[in-house]
Amino acid sequence: MYRHSFSLSSAVLLLCCLLAFGARAQEAEVSFSKKGADTCLRCHDNQQTLAIFQSNHAVPTDPRSPFGEGQLQCEACHGPGGEHTGRVRRGAERPPLIRFGSDRPTPVETQNNSCLGCHDADVGVGWHAGPHNSNDIACADCHTIHADKDAVLQVNTQAEVCFGCHQEERNETLRAFSHPMAEGKMDCSGCHSPHGDTTELQLVRQTINETCYQCHAEKRGPFLWEHAPVAENCINCHSPHGSNHPGMLTKRAPLLCQGCHSQDGHPSLANDATGLPSGVPSQFLLGQSCLNCHEQVHGSNHPSGSKLMR
Amino acid sequence: MKSLKQYKTGLLTTSLLMIAAPALAADPGGWNCQYCPFEDGYRAEYSAGVSNVSDDAAHFGDATGYDEKGTYLNLGGSGSFAEKGYQLKWQAEDLALDSRFIEVEGGKQGNYGYRVAYREIPHHVFDTTSTVFLQDGSNSLVLPSDWVVAGQTNGFTALDASLVKQNIESERKIIEVDGHYLPSTKLKFFVDYRQQKRDGVDVTAGSFYAQSSLLPRPFDYSTDEVDLGLRYRGDDGYVQLAYYGSFFSDTSVDFLWNTPFTSALGSTQAALAQPPDNSFQQVALSGSWRAPIYQTVASFSAARGTMKQDDALLPYTTNPNLVTGALPAQSLNGEVVTSNIALTLTSRPISKGRVTFAYRLDDRDNQTAQREWSRVIADTFNSGELTTNLPYSFKRMRFNARADYDLFNSVKVSAGYDRTDFDRDFQEVASQTEDSGWGQVRWRPSGLVEVKVRGGSAERTINSYDEAYASGLGQNPLMRKFNLAYRYREFGDLTATASLPNTPASITVSALYADDSYSHALLGINDSQKLEVSADLSWAVSEKASLYLMSGYETVDSTQSGSEQFSFVDWQADNADTFNTVGGGFRVKNIAEKVDLQLDYSKSDGTTEIALSSVNRNLSQLPDLSSTLDSLRFKVLYQQSERLQLNLQLRYQSFTTEDWSLNGVEPATIPTVLTLGANPYDYDVYVISLGFRYWIGTDK
Repeated sequence: MYRHSFSLSSAVLLLCCLLAFGARAQEAEVSFSKKGADTCLRCHDNQQTLAIFQSNHAVPTDPRSPFGEGQLQCEACHGPGGEHTGRVRRGAERPPLIRFGSDRPTPVETQNNSCLGCHDADVGVGWHAGPHNSNDIACADCHTIHADKDAVLQVNTQAEVCFGCHQEERNETLRAFSHPMAEGKMDCSGCHSPHGDTTELQLVRQTINETCYQCHAEKRGPFLWEHAPVAENCINCHSPHGSNHPGMLTKRAPLLCQGCHSQDGHPSLANDATGLPSGVPSQFLLGQSCLNCHEQVHGSNHPSGSKLMR
Repeated sequence: MKSLKQYKTGLLTTSLLMIAAPALAADPGGWNCQYCPFEDGYRAEYSAGVSNVSDDAAHFGDATGYDEKGTYLNLGGSGSFAEKGYQLKWQAEDLALDSRFIEVEGGKQGNYGYRVAYREIPHHVFDTTSTVFLQDGSNSLVLPSDWVVAGQTNGFTALDASLVKQNIESERKIIEVDGHYLPSTKLKFFVDYRQQKRDGVDVTAGSFYAQSSLLPRPFDYSTDEVDLGLRYRGDDGYVQLAYYGSFFSDTSVDFLWNTPFTSALGSTQAALAQPPDNSFQQVALSGSWRAPIYQTVASFSAARGTMKQDDALLPYTTNPNLVTGALPAQSLNGEVVTSNIALTLTSRPISKGRVTFAYRLDDRDNQTAQREWSRVIADTFNSGELTTNLPYSFKRMRFNARADYDLFNSVKVSAGYDRTDFDRDFQEVASQTEDSGWGQVRWRPSGLVEVKVRGGSAERTINSYDEAYASGLGQNPLMRKFNLAYRYREFGDLTATASLPNTPASITVSALYADDSYSHALLGINDSQKLEVSADLSWAVSEKASLYLMSGYETVDSTQSGSEQFSFVDWQADNADTFNTVGGGFRVKNIAEKVDLQLDYSKSDGTTEIALSSVNRNLSQLPDLSSTLDSLRFKVLYQQSERLQLNLQLRYQSFTTEDWSLNGVEPATIPTVLTLGANPYDYDVYVISLGFRYWIGTDK
């Protein structure tokens, strides 16, 4: 009986302590401002902050929007602002809210969780295991939320955002032969899924070739006569971000072709300068080189096209 | 964004006390923002102007539409309308150019939305080309009536009189119609439709065994794509079911041309197969689930698709003098089934550590029937042999494991292991495995400095290289194709970013290195190395001024071996690509509250050096291939009034190339190939643009 009383009273005492601790902890954690955005705008009324009202995040009729009915407005993303908006001692800094960008003191994971609370389905299946998440890239490193137009969502400005980190790819797009990225007519997300994907290069389709076929479906086939490395992977021969060679090839023909082909009866010749116009002009070297005859390198649907000449 | 309910839920699940209700300092449900300037009404900006282009240049006009000398009209703008939750936005660019774009999107956010867009992208390749061929209908090229055939190009006596200018160019026209509907906050239906039409002239080649002609081939393609699906989003994840269809059509199945050369067997016309009509349809199920422990997230994706192609086959030959058997089929009835499965798992079992596992399977199962086909060589003779088509199939399995650990507050270490198994059929290597390991250290002593170093190696092994199979295909048994062969790779990269204290300036340096050794290769690629170094500087000099500098250097070297004698390696080629990129620019805003200045400059040059050596003979070296692309844009914006802005833009581009495949190659330079005589690119183009931008509606 004594033992039971002790256990019961101990349990009640422990419960009370935990309740008191828990209530205090929660009150400290979930302390919102008094009037929501009206409170925030008393100080944060600059043009950059107000640009949020030109964005999709500030649509009061959308129940999913931070400014939708019953939502938490600024504090939906920046966290509860009770302490931040409350009184502080003279000279003391206001307790910080969640601030966005990987150069901000708020841990990137905390920032991104704030975004993913709503956008987990938008980023798809690849975000959590993808390279941007693994390397602690914050959503706000790419996205500008307080803006009418988020630059990374515009075809003609997206690449500039991506190239802020992807310098090698930027340099490649400035080469002689490239997709029209520098002209702002094509964006990175035409091919890549920046939120990560389970594909090898964070692509928008399941494989490299399926991605390329979006715009180059004439090369999809299946052809009667396939060219094995073509059907397997376009980047076996092409450098999709840019190249010094026409067609964005990785190397100039005939050397590109000779990397795999040395046929019986059609030897792999070392084509040197004697094959230039000043010497004996060679059909193996000049013009389209191997493609002067084997032009159907992406596959042929001709019954006599086994050598990709028809 | 979290609702109050989500905050409460989060607390209830994470708190030790599940029964305590949170004490709130305010009632967010009652917030009614009085000072929020929500979008309402119509606002827009319209821009107009003229541009003068100084010279014809196909490459400069590629994608821009400024391919010819002259004056162009510039029209564009954007606008939006919002009222009671309904939105309508539009934007337009380059409306008077071949690179025009216009987009309209609208709807009621949170309920439904739509988007309609139209874009044109011109593709200009050459404007220095000429041909003797005349287009006869949509799929046929014929020779002039007075053409004189010969065995070699130097015998084409009617060549000069017959040549006519023929640009190599095409246009891509894209229509996009997207829509979505949200019956609830958790459910979303979406449909995206896209049609791409491409038509124009490209370059192909038509050969008659020992002679060939480069042909300006007219083409007219159309691709229709549709993505549609539904997505359900729950509290702990989502699931999505989607369909993707892509349907390609070509206006013709064949392309006919007349040979300009003497035809020994009396056949003067031949046909190339055009890209066949084909389709790809795919169904995909994907989803993600957040487990309640260790911040674990599991994701999956499964897709199954079918590629089909059943275009009518052409006859073996157009040569009536050749005797062939009947085709084994009138169409291919080609079918490829694709399967893609992916699983990923990320978890943080300890506060300082995170693990990630990923599995992926990509299967391309070509189920096209194999048949025996007669071998007619270039409409010239029937070899009498039968050849069987090889419907290639591939299966690739990839597994990745990664662990990240916060060693100290400023140091994070990571390590990973990747394994790839690749199975192929009808090729020299049936089974290939690559194991890769890497490690990474990231040091971030403060928000101002970050250094990341990564390094690793990978070994790709094969079950065997089937030389007998290669020989059966007429391939030199010494060949080791680079995508099939054994490979050992070492790789590493470094990224360092530093910002100055109290100064909004940062510098980023990155480097990447990869060294591939195909040490078992005899013929083919023997080794390759790649090194890239980039350095960027950005500096916000003041609130009104900023500048940036960028630079990059890259080398890609490779060595490959060949055989003229067939029985042993007798020549080598060292191929070295070198690229240098420099650039910079500045922005200055609000000079005297009126003027903005913008300048962007970039220069990219690439050089390819090929060094040949042979044990058989002395080789003379090919000249270097080179290209230099200089681009400059300078823009002055003058704010005439609150709603009117005037702008002046100067654009300059210079592009020079040295290309031995084109240098000095006139149409009849190669005795056995009639070419189009394209010249290497060499131009300087200036564009001067004057225009204005005018804002209407609510605040500019």
